Amino acid sequence: MSTATVARTDFRSIRRSYAVVGVGVVFAALAALVFLGSSEVHPHPVRTTFGLSALVAWALPLVLAPLSYLAIAGDRARGTITYHLGLPTSRAAYFRGKYLTRAAVAAGATLLGVAVAFAVALATYEHAPDPGRFLSLGALSTAFALAMVGVFVAISASVASRSRAMVGVVGAYFLLSAFWVGPLPVLNLGTALDAVAALPGVGVSDSARALIGSLSPAGAYFNLLPELVWAGSPGEYAALEQFADRPDYLGYEPWVNALVLAAWTVGAPLVGYLRFRSAELG
Amino acid sequence: MSAVEIDELTKRYGDVTAVSELSLSVDRGEVFGFLGPNGAGKSTTINVLLGFLDPTAGAVSVLETDVTRDPQSAKSRVGLLPEAFEPVPNLTGREHVAAAVETKGADDDPDALLDRVGLAPEDARRPADDYSTGMFQRMALAVALVGDPDLLVLDEPSAGLDPNGVQLVRAIVREEADRGAAVFFSSHILDEVERVSDRVGILQNGELTAVNSVENLRDDLGMGSVVSATVDAIPDLDPLRGVDGVTDVAADGSTVRVACAAPGAKMVALRRLDDHATVEDVTIEESSLEDLFEAYTAEGPETEAAAEIGADDGDARPATAGGERV
Repeated sequence: MSTATVARTDFRSIRRSYAVVGVGVVFAALAALVFLGSSEVHPHPVRTTFGLSALVAWALPLVLAPLSYLAIAGDRARGTITYHLGLPTSRAAYFRGKYLTRAAVAAGATLLGVAVAFAVALATYEHAPDPGRFLSLGALSTAFALAMVGVFVAISASVASRSRAMVGVVGAYFLLSAFWVGPLPVLNLGTALDAVAALPGVGVSDSARALIGSLSPAGAYFNLLPELVWAGSPGEYAALEQFADRPDYLGYEPWVNALVLAAWTVGAPLVGYLRFRSAELG
Repeated sequence: MSAVEIDELTKRYGDVTAVSELSLSVDRGEVFGFLGPNGAGKSTTINVLLGFLDPTAGAVSVLETDVTRDPQSAKSRVGLLPEAFEPVPNLTGREHVAAAVETKGADDDPDALLDRVGLAPEDARRPADDYSTGMFQRMALAVALVGDPDLLVLDEPSAGLDPNGVQLVRAIVREEADRGAAVFFSSHILDEVERVSDRVGILQNGELTAVNSVENLRDDLGMGSVVSATVDAIPDLDPLRGVDGVTDVAADGSTVRVACAAPGAKMVALRRLDDHATVEDVTIEESSLEDLFEAYTAEGPETEAAAEIGADDGDARPATAGGERV
């Protein structure tokens, strides 16, 4: 089975399960709500992209996780993988097909959400949204979604049971998103680094903190937003201006963060495939 | 020409040896029945054949292709019916077959294949998740038949099928063998295996304990048949015991049971019995593959037990272990 046949078969399967519609509708609805809720508060839509970016970083992976964690582990648990690989389908083609389907749905849902946000902003905000900023936001958010889906599919390819896939994906979400750049006040990367810095003889500089903070997809995503979406934004919003005079740390450099996102997007599926390639399927 | 060539295959999972130094070959056009109790290593062997598992030691080639090096090339000419798998969710039976046709680059008509395996057109267009076990097996068989494979690997093809379905599988297996394909199949329905197989291999604890035609295994074990004759009066049985090829003689009421290891012994024994009594009725019970299976897979002393005739049911019992053991 070629990559295209696997992808087509897989897409048909998840489309009929309403997973595709579900992911798209849920994220689009959340994005619309975020913008509707702030339309009377912020005259400029760019300010609300700050809230939308938090939704992308923390809620979108949770929407994508159910779509991804059984991509391959589910087939292994059900034995369906013997249907696919009993045909002249290589493991590489099978993996590619599965990844492409999930990645396409993730990208489509993300872009749909941003497009809906743009439409709501256009209809309800005092100032019209800047198409360029929304395009950048859409592209960056899609890159983040692809990185997370790559991680999830890689985990799905690395384990043989549904339960392990679920635990792995939830763990990855918590570590790479909620913990790394998370909203939890007592359990996040900052508090962990504080604890490390409190050890005798150990110091963690601000530049090191910035670099470590950029190493997850969510960290890189947030670090790229000020440069690509919020730079020179109209209005005087403290939430956006806090990034204007950031120190010249390596961890804040756009190229470093772009590299981190690219590394996760390419590296995670590659590692997942290498583990799947040598897996005992029987 | 060999369709399957397994040479000293060993597969271990940690400390557990699933298959140990297994060697066998299956020729093209041959139907090979692969038997063994649960956990004997049948599915492991099949999974190695398909490249799902790597052998710990040994070599496996399918259609002259080393499956550890080039599984794709081998699989393009193999039709697989796996054991106990679930369909792709929300896909119809026809779509399963159509995807297989597309993958193999074959020109089969999915509807014709589904018709061949007896899946009604309206069922073929329903999601396979909703199928009964029998309907699902038919769909899986249609997938296996895509592209006229040179080797059919069928893992429990009759599981869940009704008698008509079992008969259909048997007919298709024979048709495929007549076409020149090799058929390598495992089944727990021993009657089915006996009817359709040219040879059988019996696997026990990961080791091949016997491989031969059912007839030869029967002869090798001295488990030929039992002649049961109803007579007017039980005569002296010693003359029957002297017949060459007779392994045991017993009487039960008005019935004399004569175990014959050699096919030619039956008529000689019957004539000799008729010389000493009036034979009113005769039945001949061939030892079944089930008997052979029990003989080859029984543990320890039972395998070595001498042939005897059961006092209660008259079944032929396992004879002295002397069959073609590997």
